[in-house]
Amino acid sequence: MRTRRLTVIGPLAALALLAALILVHPAAAGKLEEAIAQTPTGAGPGLINPSASPGFMGIPGAPSHFWLWYILWGVWVGWIFSSVGAFGGIMAGVGHISVFGLSDYAATFKKTSPTLNKMLTDSIRTSNQYLVGLSALISSFTYYRMGRLVLPLGLCLAIGGLLAGYVVPLLTVGKLDVSLYVGFFGIIVFAVAFVLFYETTPRGQESRKAARAAAKAFEDAHIKKIPEYQVGKIDTRALGVRVTGWSPTKVSFTFYGAEFSFNPLWPILGGFVINGISAFIGVGGGFLYVPFLTSVAGLPMFIVAGTSALAVLVGMIINIFNMMVVRAVPVDFLLIFTELIGIAIGSVLGPMTSKKIPEIWLKRLFIVLAIYVGIGYLTKGFMGKSIFPGM
Amino acid sequence: MGMHPLYLFLDPYLIRFYRLTAVAWVDFLLGTLVVAVLALLVGEFTSALASLVVRPHLDQVAGEARKYHELSLKALQAGDRPAYEAADKLAKDAFSKSFFMQLAFSATFFWPVFFALGWMQTRFLQLEFPLPGTGFSLGYISAFILLYIPAYLVFKRVIHKLPFGRLKGILNTYRRGQAME
Repeated sequence: MRTRRLTVIGPLAALALLAALILVHPAAAGKLEEAIAQTPTGAGPGLINPSASPGFMGIPGAPSHFWLWYILWGVWVGWIFSSVGAFGGIMAGVGHISVFGLSDYAATFKKTSPTLNKMLTDSIRTSNQYLVGLSALISSFTYYRMGRLVLPLGLCLAIGGLLAGYVVPLLTVGKLDVSLYVGFFGIIVFAVAFVLFYETTPRGQESRKAARAAAKAFEDAHIKKIPEYQVGKIDTRALGVRVTGWSPTKVSFTFYGAEFSFNPLWPILGGFVINGISAFIGVGGGFLYVPFLTSVAGLPMFIVAGTSALAVLVGMIINIFNMMVVRAVPVDFLLIFTELIGIAIGSVLGPMTSKKIPEIWLKRLFIVLAIYVGIGYLTKGFMGKSIFPGM
Repeated sequence: MGMHPLYLFLDPYLIRFYRLTAVAWVDFLLGTLVVAVLALLVGEFTSALASLVVRPHLDQVAGEARKYHELSLKALQAGDRPAYEAADKLAKDAFSKSFFMQLAFSATFFWPVFFALGWMQTRFLQLEFPLPGTGFSLGYISAFILLYIPAYLVFKRVIHKLPFGRLKGILNTYRRGQAME
């Protein structure tokens, strides 16, 4: 098993490192300065006022807030991550887009300086990307410790992910208007709202209850009959993954004696779409691998988790390097740093408060919030103006 | 690029590490290595402090994921497919919860990295560090990451020998003792 893991990890890590080095070429460090210089100067919207104090990314007159607000927003994001889950990434994006006023600021340059408008859009989504990057790093580490790897599955995911990591920035960096980006972000918010909503429906709750009952029945009938001193002695590693067949349309393997198979097209497509979303929106990518492959391809969770984490990590490295180094998208590290301090505090507060608030009510609260944000962004992005205030 | 007041305050101290020799590329590598190690130490310290509060809860959720994962494997061994699918679903739910908690918790470790990159951005944005014989060059971010990763791997091997690592060990033992009570 260890050799097999290394067979997968070795080439993928080498590929990532190679990409990191090969993709590095003289970055257009002065790109932002150039865009600022090309923007007409003055005091009104869509103009750069050189005498104004520097704000976001050091741009004179750009939105700038007291540092405590960034930390407080980070606390909110961290608290959501550690109590509700995926919606934290969405909220990080909402902070960049709306709360800190970056999308409205970028939109003012639509006519006066389209280059700056698009550069700010790229910067917002690259800032979001860092959270995805962190999630990929954490998931890789956690999955690696407890996961199982299926070599063909990892390769298929990596092929799809690498393709998206190259194609999406190539097609969109410097070309995506901020309004359009906000509209697409709204679609992702709706997707997350739908998942949260399903989990709170009687059907979603029932399937969880049924799963719990079935697991307990099996535990009562089998596990408790095994003397405790023997439970820890079962060598589960000896019964790991065994690939039994490869073909262009079907890959078969056994896991704990049971046979599983998948069509390689699914993970390639899944890798492409999921990493594509990561690269395009900046959030909503990595965490989709496990639900996608367990639900669509029907594979066991821990096989999927262990394998997909590596694909996520490779995809993330490619995305961030492609955005930041090849496409030279500038980011405001000070903003990310202050937000991370808040997220760190929120991660401590989340577990302390989550015991006191029922999870289902938290989810219902975030469904309402997601619908508000989703409709707000969709109307703002595709109709030019949000029908809700604060968006 | 203008400097934030916090960076202005720390800049005279941090930049000293970039003036250790008279050779520019050696200074850059040494200085970046020191900054990476500082980011690592500060991150490890804040993460250890936060883990005193959060770790029991994280372990509890991760333990639930592990319990159902092991149950699913046993169901698979026993040939009970419905029980396997049920336990696998519960493991997935618990794992998802544990994953996002760990993601947020990782900020307690990584925040100094972005602080360091922010400072380096103000200092070395225009810098290109040529890779000998390749025609390529590294920017400040690549240089930092490529030094941070090996520093992390070495640090993980030696932490238990450092006073800080021993303190962490004592704190962990204390926490485990509390959990047992």
